[in-house]
Amino acid sequence: MDLLIQALVQGVLVGSTYAVIALGMGLIFSVSGIINFAHGDLIVIAMFMCLSAFTALKVDPYLALAVTVPAMVVLAAALYRFLLRRMIGRPFLITVQLTLGLSFMIQSLLLMFYGGEPQRVPSLIEAQIWLVGDIVFEGKLVVAFAVSVVLSVLLFWMLNYTDFGRSVRAIRQNAKAAALMGINVERARLKTFMLGIGVLALAGSLLVPGMSIQPTAGLHLTVITLLAVVLGGMSNFAGILIGGIVIGIAEAFGSIYVSGTLGLIFPYLIFVAILLFRPAGILGRSQ
Amino acid sequence: MPISDNQNLLEVQNLSAGYGGRRVLHDVSISIGKGELVGLLGANNAGKSTLINCLSGIVAADTGRVAFDGNECTDLAPHLRVERGIVHVPEGRLLFPGLTVRENLQLAGINPTVRRDREARIERVIRLFPRVGERLDQLAGTLSGGEQQMVAISRGLVSGARLLMLDEPSLGLSPLMVRTIFAAIKRLNEEEKLTILLVEQNLRLTIAHASRCYVLEHGRVVLSGSSAELAEDPRTRKAYLGM
Repeated sequence: MDLLIQALVQGVLVGSTYAVIALGMGLIFSVSGIINFAHGDLIVIAMFMCLSAFTALKVDPYLALAVTVPAMVVLAAALYRFLLRRMIGRPFLITVQLTLGLSFMIQSLLLMFYGGEPQRVPSLIEAQIWLVGDIVFEGKLVVAFAVSVVLSVLLFWMLNYTDFGRSVRAIRQNAKAAALMGINVERARLKTFMLGIGVLALAGSLLVPGMSIQPTAGLHLTVITLLAVVLGGMSNFAGILIGGIVIGIAEAFGSIYVSGTLGLIFPYLIFVAILLFRPAGILGRSQ
Repeated sequence: MPISDNQNLLEVQNLSAGYGGRRVLHDVSISIGKGELVGLLGANNAGKSTLINCLSGIVAADTGRVAFDGNECTDLAPHLRVERGIVHVPEGRLLFPGLTVRENLQLAGINPTVRRDREARIERVIRLFPRVGERLDQLAGTLSGGEQQMVAISRGLVSGARLLMLDEPSLGLSPLMVRTIFAAIKRLNEEEKLTILLVEQNLRLTIAHASRCYVLEHGRVVLSGSSAELAEDPRTRKAYLGM
C-alpha cells in the first residue's frame, strides 16, 4: 500500500512538470499548427546552460533561471522568426521533418561542446527529503510541483482573463476570423512561442537537480511531452495538464513496480490503452 | 464616377487578385463615398468574396491599388486595416464558438484605435441589438443563426468600423430575422452615417437597401449604377443568374 502511494506521489510530482512543458507545446500547436519535435532538445539546452552556470560560477540551477529563461526566450524568438514561421500552413510532415532535423542538430552541437558522458548538475536541495509517514517527498520534486502548479494557474488565468489569452483562444478556433477582428495573429504566435519555450526553460531548471543529463536526452523528453499533449486532446489545455500527470504517474509506476527496461515502456502502454478507448483525448472532444 | 476622388472613403483601382496563380478578380475598380450604402451583386463564384477578402487583406492583391480615406493600403496586414476602420464581417459569421459573446466583443475591440473605450462601445451595440446584451455570457456557438449574425455585426461595430463590409448577412436566416438584420443595417447607415459595403446573393434585398450597386460577373465589374436603374436593367438579372 505504501509503495502504491509512493508511486502516486512521485508520479503526480514529476507529472506536474511534464504537464507545464506539455502545456507550452499545446499552446504553440493551438495557435500555429506546429508540433515542435525539438521541444525536448530545447529543455536539454536549458539544462546544459544550468550545467555551465554551475561549473563556471557555482550557480544553483534555481538561480540560473534568471539567465536561462531570458536566453531561451530569445532563442525561441529567433527560431520562430527565421524557421518555424515559414512552416505555418504547410503540410504537417514538413514541420515534423524540420523540427526533427533541428533536434538532431541541437544534439550534435551539445555533443560537440559537452561530450557524450552523462553529467549531473547538483543543487542545494537535491538531497533534501521529507518523510510523511513512510512516504518520501523529495525536496526538488516538491519544489517542481509547487512551481508547476503556480505556473499552470497563471497560464490559465492568462488564457481566460487577458487580451493575449483571449487572442490565443480565438486564433486556436479560427485564425482567419482572428485577423479580421484586428488581432495581430503573427505577433500573437510569436509571443506564444516565446511563452511556451520560456515555460520549458523554467521546467528545465526544475527537472535538472540531481538528474543525469546527456545531449541525446531531448527526443525522449519530446516524446513524453507529446504523449501528454495527445492524451489531452492536442489543444485542450485542461486535458493536457491531466495528460502530463497521467504520464508522470505511469512513469513512476513503471519504474517502481516493473524492473529494468520493461518499466520504461509503461507510459507508452498506458498511452496506447487510453487512446484505444478515448481517441480524442482524456477530456473527450478535440477542437 | 459620381463623387470626386478625395471625397471617397474607399477607392479601388484596377485590382486583380486570385489564389495560387488562378486569377479570380480582373481589373476591378470601385469607389464608395462617405456615408454610402453600396451593394455588390453577383452570382456564386463571381468574385464577390474574393474582392471583399482582398479589401480586408486576407487575400493579397496581384496588381492595382486600394486607398482608404486617401491613404494607400493595398499591402497592409489585416489587423492594421481594422485599426484604420476597414472592417469585414465575414460570410458564415465566423464567430469564435468556444468563447462567450462578451469575449467575442472584447476581442473585436482589441485594436489600439478603440481599445480604451471598448466597454462603452459594447454598451452601445447592446442598445442597437438588445438580444446580444441578453446573451453576453453565453458561448457564441450556442446562439441561433440570427443572434450570431447580430454578434458578428456587433463585433464589426466594436472594432470601430468606418467602412463596414458585410458578406452575405442574410445567409441561412429566417425571413423574419433577415428583416431585423436589414433594419439594423439601414439604421446604422441612416442614423449613424456608417459607410457600408453590402455583399449579397439576395438581389431584391440589396436593391431595396443600397443606393448604388456594382454587379460582378466572372471577376469583372460588368454593371454599376443606382439601384433603381439596375433594378430595371435586364442585364442585372442575367449577370446575377450567371448566364
